[in-house]
Amino acid sequence: MNTEEGAARDLATHLHPDDAGDRSGAALLHVERLNVAVGPVRRARPLVRDVSFDVHRGQALGIVGESGSGKSLTARAVVGLLPAGLHASGSVTFDGHQLIDAERRTWRALRGSRVSLLLQDPFTMLNPLQTAGAHLAESLPRGGHHSRSRQRDEIARRLGEVGLAAEVAEQYPFQLSGGMRQRVALAVALARDPELLIADEPTTALDVTTQAEVLELLQSIRRSRGMSLILITHDLRVAFSVCDRVQVMYAGSVLEQSPTAALAADPAHPYSLGLLLADPPVTHYVAELTAIPGSVPQADTVADTCAFAARCSWAQPECAAARPPLAPVGPNRTSACLRLGEIHPELRAALSHLDQPAAPPPALTVGDPIAAITELRKTFHTSRLAGRARRTTALDGVSLQIGEGESVGLVGETGSGKTTIARALLGLITPDAGRIDLAGIDISNYRRLDRRQRRQARRIVQAVFQDPYTSLNPALSIGTTLREVLDLRGDVTDSRHETADLLGLVGLPASYAQRRPVALSGGERQRVAIARAIALRPRLLICDEPVAALDVSAQAQVLELLRDIHRRYNTSMLFITHDLSVVRQMADRIIVLYHGQVVETGDTATVLDSPNHPYTRRLINAIPSAQAPSGHAPDRSEP
Amino acid sequence: MAIVLFLLKRLVGMVVILIIVSFLVFSLLALSPGSVVATLLGTQPSTPQVVAAIKAQYHLNDPFLVQYWHWLTSAVHGDLGRSIQSGEAVTSVIASHLPVTLELAAYTLVLVVVVGIPVGMAAGIGRGRLFDRSVSGATIVGMGAPGFALGILLIYVFGVGLGWFPVYGAGSSQAIDRVYHLTLPAVALATGLVALIVRQTRAAVMDVMEQDYITFARTRGVGRARVMLGYALRNTALPVVTAAGLLLIVAISGTVLVETVFSLPGAGQLMVQAIEAKNVPVVQGLAFFVAVLVVAVNLLVDAAALMIDPRTRAGVRG
Amino acid sequence: MTSDVRSDQAEGAAIDHLQRVPVVAVICGLVLLAVLVCVVAGGWLAPQDPSAQNPLLSAMAPGHGHLLGTDELGRDVLSRLLSGARSSVVGPLVVAAGCLLIGATLGMAGAYFGGVVDTAVNRLADMVYALPALLIAIVVLGVVGGGYWITVAVLLLLSLPYEIRLCRSAAMVEVRLPYVDAARTIGISAWRIIFRHVLPNILPTVVATFLLDFVGALVGFAALSYLGLGVPPSSPSWGTTLAEGQSLITQNPWLSIAPAVLIIVTASSATLLGDWGHELLAHAGTQR
Repeated sequence: MNTEEGAARDLATHLHPDDAGDRSGAALLHVERLNVAVGPVRRARPLVRDVSFDVHRGQALGIVGESGSGKSLTARAVVGLLPAGLHASGSVTFDGHQLIDAERRTWRALRGSRVSLLLQDPFTMLNPLQTAGAHLAESLPRGGHHSRSRQRDEIARRLGEVGLAAEVAEQYPFQLSGGMRQRVALAVALARDPELLIADEPTTALDVTTQAEVLELLQSIRRSRGMSLILITHDLRVAFSVCDRVQVMYAGSVLEQSPTAALAADPAHPYSLGLLLADPPVTHYVAELTAIPGSVPQADTVADTCAFAARCSWAQPECAAARPPLAPVGPNRTSACLRLGEIHPELRAALSHLDQPAAPPPALTVGDPIAAITELRKTFHTSRLAGRARRTTALDGVSLQIGEGESVGLVGETGSGKTTIARALLGLITPDAGRIDLAGIDISNYRRLDRRQRRQARRIVQAVFQDPYTSLNPALSIGTTLREVLDLRGDVTDSRHETADLLGLVGLPASYAQRRPVALSGGERQRVAIARAIALRPRLLICDEPVAALDVSAQAQVLELLRDIHRRYNTSMLFITHDLSVVRQMADRIIVLYHGQVVETGDTATVLDSPNHPYTRRLINAIPSAQAPSGHAPDRSEP
Repeated sequence: MAIVLFLLKRLVGMVVILIIVSFLVFSLLALSPGSVVATLLGTQPSTPQVVAAIKAQYHLNDPFLVQYWHWLTSAVHGDLGRSIQSGEAVTSVIASHLPVTLELAAYTLVLVVVVGIPVGMAAGIGRGRLFDRSVSGATIVGMGAPGFALGILLIYVFGVGLGWFPVYGAGSSQAIDRVYHLTLPAVALATGLVALIVRQTRAAVMDVMEQDYITFARTRGVGRARVMLGYALRNTALPVVTAAGLLLIVAISGTVLVETVFSLPGAGQLMVQAIEAKNVPVVQGLAFFVAVLVVAVNLLVDAAALMIDPRTRAGVRG
Repeated sequence: MTSDVRSDQAEGAAIDHLQRVPVVAVICGLVLLAVLVCVVAGGWLAPQDPSAQNPLLSAMAPGHGHLLGTDELGRDVLSRLLSGARSSVVGPLVVAAGCLLIGATLGMAGAYFGGVVDTAVNRLADMVYALPALLIAIVVLGVVGGGYWITVAVLLLLSLPYEIRLCRSAAMVEVRLPYVDAARTIGISAWRIIFRHVLPNILPTVVATFLLDFVGALVGFAALSYLGLGVPPSSPSWGTTLAEGQSLITQNPWLSIAPAVLIIVTASSATLLGDWGHELLAHAGTQR
């Protein structure tokens, strides 16, 4: 096996040979035709439709889906905490207790002590006015006369279980890093020793290396306690690394339920296949990234058809005629694909495509440096509500070059300084020391440039930002946004025509010019942002995490578009990302940043296949499916 | 210790502000129309002796800044000059008018805290329900109803019309009679403030109730009382306490007008009378007093914020 | 990645919002429209000459062709209130408009450019904000004196900090968003970014503060003229009428009640409209 998916399959089969824990009795959690809808009863719009699944004791179920799939709402419905205005129907039984519309008494007996929920964002999950110890103290099992010292010992033991020192008990959430907060939250969620833990995207907000540590921790605790787990995630690799079974959801419906190994090796639904293919491999370059065309629909618009039909390459008229039910397709497997019998071999063939030997990356022709950074330094001063300002060093003497036509990957986690480099190149911040040359212009201090030089610099370098939801002005139509740039270019006579051309270039219909950003999906917005960036025909395009905020199925489309622009116009690229599989596909050369310093640099294959620096190795080991769970280390590296 | 140091630093900053304000207050004398001597003479006959005495007292032959210095040092020692109307010391004039104002303020404060905060919390928790919507509507009318206009309506309805409450004066110094007389003024003054605090509390509660930490606490079975007190109330307290400064400045202007409407012999009415009589020393004294009050309350708000929120304390520690 | 729960919740709120057809907002709009008509044509609408005295009909209750009775000098109350709309409302409107122009510009520019000037303006605004504006106006106008337009200027100066602070903090949120970075990267000029990119996105705040500034100034003007400051006593205004009426509340209660109600209704309508407009615009910004 030479792909990470291969490794995942390998790992999954190795770890979960019989795909379950205790299957003898009834399921611990039994969900039957669960529906969640919003709005008044008569005009209710469905958000989750007919979801059924079981979780047995000791089993880990992964619920995987993109945004709008209803995976989080399913979890919330199970613990009875849907947001106001939403209501659930159907049946959710936990060890014999019916939970839909359960009374407060039932919940009091269950929440915390038998079922617990861990949320996504470690920064908002803990009460900011309460220490970690106080969180634990209020959640520890009631009853019995706990003496102060006994309680303190118990808190220390609980913190130890999640790999934290006893002193953390005295600290407030804001004094802890994201990873440590998530560990505290985990300890708190487990304080009453629940039999089922539901973890809703527990690692999404964390850095890659921290994410790996928290997943390992979750896994080892589950094992040692024999606890059941529902892990909700958008990332198949995360689900594969932890779960026995995986349930794939899309636009409010379940499309496939399978043992992990089976799903990874042999998906039984075109959408599952699409998700597997959309995730680019870190191990080798892929000549063409496979994307699922289109974007995720709203749950209520696909109520009477196969939710995925509109984007499925195997769809037939019968797929849109009615909503196909989940049907058994193998041992412990169900799929909602009507045509699975006919197309299963084709799905297998498509997947094996990924495993094929790596195509050599296209040869690169690197010209003179388009951008050169020498010994760049930048320190930020942040003042707090009261007291002295804090200093954080973002760049600590960074030097790098980008050649004409070259694509450079800049890799690092939060606080590595990668975004600061981008902002310095764009003239959005002024460095404290060092020099930036842009095709011969010294732009180290943008304010000192005259108007003409500034215009020149703007023409050379443009950027695509991370979050497409905030990088387009919500008040302006797409056409206005693009025309504004074209007007600046100055050589455009027919801006309407040119706008349509630009939209066509990024694969959007010309009619989108009339729309406002809210009417577009994340992937479409990012295409508009790309169109805006290339409208000035820059020689260097900075892409700052351009797919990090996008759904998996939209990522491949955007990456493929960027590769196309790179090839077609020989545009140099600075590709900033934390994701090594993305950088494998996008960069000729990699620069690894750690705490504001360059720790490793070299061509992509060399750095990823035989990393030199320990930090680079840590990053590579942190990719979920490529690692085997091992002992965990406390996360204390970040402030 | 660090907290004390921080508060001391704040205190120094506020003293600086007070000095600036006192300078502006002092300048009022020079800015008032007519000569300073004429202003200070008021209705007294302008004999050379009196004029000389005034000139000596206010150091009018010295440069402006020296005059200010003399005024400031005596002000710090509690001497704010003499009232032009009565000749009494300004401090004792103010002191004799303060009780009624303080009683009115206390009465209003009770109304604001007892009515405003619980109603705001209830509306915020039951967001979108009928109670919340009627409260939100009422607060808008309350915010748009200035105390003096509302006072007139209250006088007409409850005083003239129904005859339940006296319409003017503060009554005798007996507690019951005083409460009786101060009820309408307190309601007139409190309405706008209650509306403000209800809105602030409601917004704060709504914000807090939507936070993940509330959901997380509920999913792990933390008791309802603990969630409401330890989570919702404590986290709501900070924005609500911070709003106290805003309430104060609304209340100060409101008091002046409400006391005038109800003819209460308090500091607010004294201010209006002193302005009408061009009694500049009394106006200066009152303005200075208000400035000290505002600064002191802001200091208290800061101290309260430090006590409530560990994040601000950590900032202090550096 | 936005959490499912959050976005679904927002949708739920949107539905909730659309159901409430704001009848109240329409009524408030009509009230303000009527007030504006009085401002423009109040003198013309007045059934009688607002300054025509009639000593025989002093402080009369409604009747005898006087819908709201007469004041101490026998002048028609309704006519005085209608023609008093102008001096009661024009000043506040000028204050609010001035705040809008100066305050919003200063606030946005401060948020965008930052720097020493921004810090200084902001500190000053913070300081003035913590002071009782109306009391300062009373003291300054009472001691130093000043006519109508001086009053407008004083109230404008005292309301500016409020406007600057609100616009600045709203603009601060926008300025940090990537679309502003993107605009800068493309090379759009600073002022164009401020007015074309930032302004439309803080419009909800700008509109709401305009109306709140108006309410503040309306109440301020009424309070000042109630105390005999700002508006010359001879020219009719709601505040002066209110003051005249208080002592005659037993003879003709309408002399004081009518202006009090007028002030409260106008102020509440503007507050509500500002509140509603803020929500509507803020909503339109995110969902469309």
